Amino acid sequence: MDFLWHEVSEKEKQEIKEQAKSIMDNFSRKLSKVSKKMQESLVEREKSEREEREAGEGDSDFRKTIFENAPNKNKDFIIAEKKQW
Amino acid sequence: MVELKQYLNEIEKNNKKGKKINSILQINPEAKQVRKSGKLKGKSIVVKANINVKGLNASCASRVLEDYTSGFDATVIEKVKQEGGIILGMANMDEFASGGSGETSAFGPVKNPRDLNLIPGGSSSGSAASVAAGFCDMALGSDTGGSIRNPASHCGVVGVKPTYSSVSRYGLIDLGMSLDQIGPIAKNVSDAALLLRVIQGYDERDSISQDSKKINLKNIEKIPKKLVVGVLDFEIKDKNIQRLIDEKVKLAGKEYGWEIKKIKIDCLDLAIETYYPLVYVEFFSATRRFDGRRYGKKIEEVAGPEVLRRILGGSEISKAEYHGRYYHLALKARKLIQEEFAKIFKKVDCIVSPTVPRLPHKIGDKISIEDMYSYDVLTVPANLAGNCAMSIPCGKIGFIPIGMQIMCNNFEDEKMLQIARSFEKLN
Repeated sequence: MDFLWHEVSEKEKQEIKEQAKSIMDNFSRKLSKVSKKMQESLVEREKSEREEREAGEGDSDFRKTIFENAPNKNKDFIIAEKKQW
Repeated sequence: MVELKQYLNEIEKNNKKGKKINSILQINPEAKQVRKSGKLKGKSIVVKANINVKGLNASCASRVLEDYTSGFDATVIEKVKQEGGIILGMANMDEFASGGSGETSAFGPVKNPRDLNLIPGGSSSGSAASVAAGFCDMALGSDTGGSIRNPASHCGVVGVKPTYSSVSRYGLIDLGMSLDQIGPIAKNVSDAALLLRVIQGYDERDSISQDSKKINLKNIEKIPKKLVVGVLDFEIKDKNIQRLIDEKVKLAGKEYGWEIKKIKIDCLDLAIETYYPLVYVEFFSATRRFDGRRYGKKIEEVAGPEVLRRILGGSEISKAEYHGRYYHLALKARKLIQEEFAKIFKKVDCIVSPTVPRLPHKIGDKISIEDMYSYDVLTVPANLAGNCAMSIPCGKIGFIPIGMQIMCNNFEDEKMLQIARSFEKLN
């Protein structure tokens, strides 16, 4: 296959789904064969909490930019579609 | 120093016209030659389009976010601006950093400036190609499994993946949160070290962030003594690539008196099998926010095939019916890889190998997924282990640059840059 970007049809989506599953099955089979005793990977942090303090002033442009990004909006709020999720 | 105007002229000449490199998606209309003092005074920097720069389009080279304007600066951008760097524009990339060739962008593939028929590598394709094409001084990219080092190798420039957690990811649109790292791409080791020095450091807005020793730029110039270089023993089909690496290492051993050791890493052949399940699942999770309700378009409706492969694959293997079997297996294998590297770094100071074990293919060539993923086999281990790693130019096969990867233990970024600079001095 080529990896150039193109629009994906419903048929191709189905093929991709099956292909992805097959790739993961193969990978999983290989990992299952590892004989060494394995522990899960964990990340430990000494410092992982944010220090509490007063909220900053904020950016005056932020609200304007976010409203401009919204696909559907009214004057003061972003409109989310109903009954579709 | 090259003036911003010269870079803008070069971009005008060869980005969309002329050579049609297509590495820059957007020029910053606010970019101007500032005289603000700082470590990056007057340096022009291109930013991968998955890093938020206030007022610019963080599109991730996808139609999902093609109209999305960032409302804030990522921490790395704040730091660059504070040090007098000029944000020149946003770089093309593989769509949502999903790809290793630079072909999967919804806004067209990036061409390799060294040979316009070839892929530049990815996913930070536009960042590396912009540096190689002479469009900027430096660039920022992100590296989840080699996405900085791979295009740096193919484009003949320097690319650094810093130690995981040493550079803030706040403002990076993530691909795989347990692996992602922002890093510099530059024309030489000194410039890469300078940009890394500016962007590194603890940030409370990134929950995994850790403080690290600040890189001393003067130390980078010192050639380390009593160094043990581990040369990775790994079967590569193209013997010419390994030959270039071996020759360079041999020369360094002779010139600097470094000890050279062949090393074998038992679990290296598990790296790809470990990496992709982690990325598929984490990417699936990360993309749930792209539902088209608050901004942009719904990702499943407009993304290209590689992004869909990762979303659909991630969705499938994270289903409750599998009880997290794939993901947990990958996490365990990852731990094994981390332990293996920890053992090896007790014996050697660095591990040297080719960055990419094969030559870049022609843009649009048909190759299998397995072959595409195999580009990453030597770069993903550093992400899985969290180590620092970088790619420097090591020679050419024909006109095609070959990169040498230097990997060091966690938080030994300064030592890695010092070793890289020593190799660079041999040119």
